[in-house]
Amino acid sequence: MIALLAVEWLKIKRYRTFWVLAILFLLLLPLWNLEIANGLIKIGGGGKNGINFLSTAYSFPQVWGNLGFWGSIFIMFISILIIIITTNEYGFRTNRQNVIDGWDKMQFYHAKVLLLIVFSIIATIYLFILGIIFGGFNSGSLSGMFSEFQQVAYFFLLSLDYLGFALFIALWIRKSGLAIGLFLLYSMIIENILKSIINHFTDKPYGNLLPLQASDELLPFPLMQFAKAMMPMGPDISLTSYAFVAMCWCVIYYFAGRAILLRNDW
Amino acid sequence: MSPILSIQQISKSYGPIQALKDVSFDVPEGCVFGILGPNGSGKTTLLGIVLDVLLANAGSYSWFGGMEHSEARRKIGALLETPNFYHYLSAFNNLEISAAIKQMGMDDRLRVLRQVGLFERKDSKFQTFSLGMKQRLAIGAALLGNPKILVLDEPTNGLDPAGIAEIRDLIRKLNKEGITIIIASHLLDEIEKVCTHVAILKMGRLLLHGPVDEVLHSEDQVEVRATDMEKLQQALQMMSGIKKIKLVDNTLQLTCDTDIQPFQINEFCISKGIVLSHLLLKKKSLETKFMELTNN
Repeated sequence: MIALLAVEWLKIKRYRTFWVLAILFLLLLPLWNLEIANGLIKIGGGGKNGINFLSTAYSFPQVWGNLGFWGSIFIMFISILIIIITTNEYGFRTNRQNVIDGWDKMQFYHAKVLLLIVFSIIATIYLFILGIIFGGFNSGSLSGMFSEFQQVAYFFLLSLDYLGFALFIALWIRKSGLAIGLFLLYSMIIENILKSIINHFTDKPYGNLLPLQASDELLPFPLMQFAKAMMPMGPDISLTSYAFVAMCWCVIYYFAGRAILLRNDW
Repeated sequence: MSPILSIQQISKSYGPIQALKDVSFDVPEGCVFGILGPNGSGKTTLLGIVLDVLLANAGSYSWFGGMEHSEARRKIGALLETPNFYHYLSAFNNLEISAAIKQMGMDDRLRVLRQVGLFERKDSKFQTFSLGMKQRLAIGAALLGNPKILVLDEPTNGLDPAGIAEIRDLIRKLNKEGITIIIASHLLDEIEKVCTHVAILKMGRLLLHGPVDEVLHSEDQVEVRATDMEKLQQALQMMSGIKKIKLVDNTLQLTCDTDIQPFQINEFCISKGIVLSHLLLKKKSLETKFMELTNN
C-alpha cells in the first residue's frame, strides 16, 4: 500500500498542475470564509441593510456545517486534479508502462484509489484545523467544539464521493478535456435537472439520492437550516440515510472503475 | 533448453478485425527471437498481450515456465510501441518511477542513461526530447536492473543510422551475456543481422517459426543460358541435385540443393557437350523470401 502511494507521490511531486490546484484549494478556502465571516462577501440576506446570516455562522457548532458546505464547493479543485492526474496516464500511455514495468492493473487502480483517500484525509484534516481557528476566534473558546462534530466526518464522506466520482469519470472517458467537461456539467447542471424531475414525481425527495447530491445533502447551504427551521418543507430523508447512500455510491464507483479497467485493453 | 516464453493458441480481435488467430510458439532461452511481419500483422498486439496490457480473446502464455505474470514482468525490460513517459518529468525522474515499480534500487539509472547516450540530458524534461531521444530513453528504461529478457517492439523507430547500429551492437552484446531478446520489426535488415530465431506473422496468422537458418533457409538459384536452350534444359533435367527448372526470359532458373556449386553445373554441362554462355548464382535475400511468404 505504501509502495503504491510512494510511486504516486513520485508522479505528482514535480507536477506543477498538482501544486497549483492544491495550493489554490488550501488558500482560497480559508480566504473565502474569512471574507464571508467579515461580511466582505454577502450572500443571501446580505446587502447594505440586511442581516448577514452567514457571517454569524463561524462560531461553534455552526462553523462545521458552514465550512463543510464551502468545502464541498472547493473540493471541485481536487476533483479536477484527480481527473487530470488520471487522464494524464492515458495521454502519456504511462498506464501501459506501469503495467509493463510490473504492476498489475489492480495495483495501478488501487494506487489511484489510495491517492484519493489520502487527498480526502488531508482535506478533512485541513477543514478541521480551519474549523478550530475560525470557531475558536468567533466563539472565544474551544468549548462546544465537538457538538455537530459529525459534520467533519460528513465532509470526509463528501470528499470521497466527489473524488471517487471524478476517478470513475476519468477512467471511463480517458480524455482529459471531455472528462472535466462532463464532470462539471454533471455536477452543476445534469444532476440538478435529474433531481428536480425525480423529486417532482416522488413523495419523498428521492432525487436527492443521486451520486453527488446525496453527500451534498449532508452539508447543505447554511441558510437552508434557517429556512427549514422557519417553515417545514414536507417529508425528508434522514441524514443517516444520505450518509449510507453516499457510502454506497463510493462502493459503486469502486466496482464500476474496476470493471472498466479489467474489461478494456490498455 | 526450456522455453522462456511459451505462447499457446492466442487469438485476439478488435471488433470485426481478427488481429491474431491461434498463434502458438515457444521462445527458447538465450536466443534473439525476431517477430517479423508487415504493418498490421499483429506483432505489437501479440507483445501487448504477453505484457498484459491487451486482453486476448483466447489462449494463454507463460513466462519462465509459469511464473506469476506481474512478477515475471519485473524481470523483463520492455519497450512496447511508443516510449511512454511522464512528459513533465526529466529522464532521470521518469526512470525513478520505472525503477520503483520494478522494486529495484535507484542506482542503476545513471548506468542505463550512459548506455543509451542520454547522460548529458538526464535532467531535461521528457517533453523536450526528440523522437530518437525518447526512443533511447525507452530502451534505457528497458535495460534497468539487467533484465533476463528484453522485449523490444520496433526498437530502432526514429533512430538515426548511428543509433540503429548502436542498438544492433547492444543487442548482440546483451545476448552474449545470456539475455534473451524478443524483437518485433518490419525491418528485415534488422532481423537478419541479429536474430537466431524468427516467427513470421501475416494478418494475425503465424506463417512459420523456428531457427533462422531453418525457417529462412534460402534455396540458392542459379541462372544459366546456352545457345541451345532446349538441349540445355533436357541435359539439366538429368542432373541430380537440381530440384526445379524454370524458363524465364530465355534463361533457365535452377533451384538447387545447397551443396550444388555453380562450377559443378558448369562441369556437368561441359561433360554433356554444352557450353554455357551465362552462369550466375543468385542468393535469395531474406527480403525475397519474406515477400514470397507474405504475398500469397
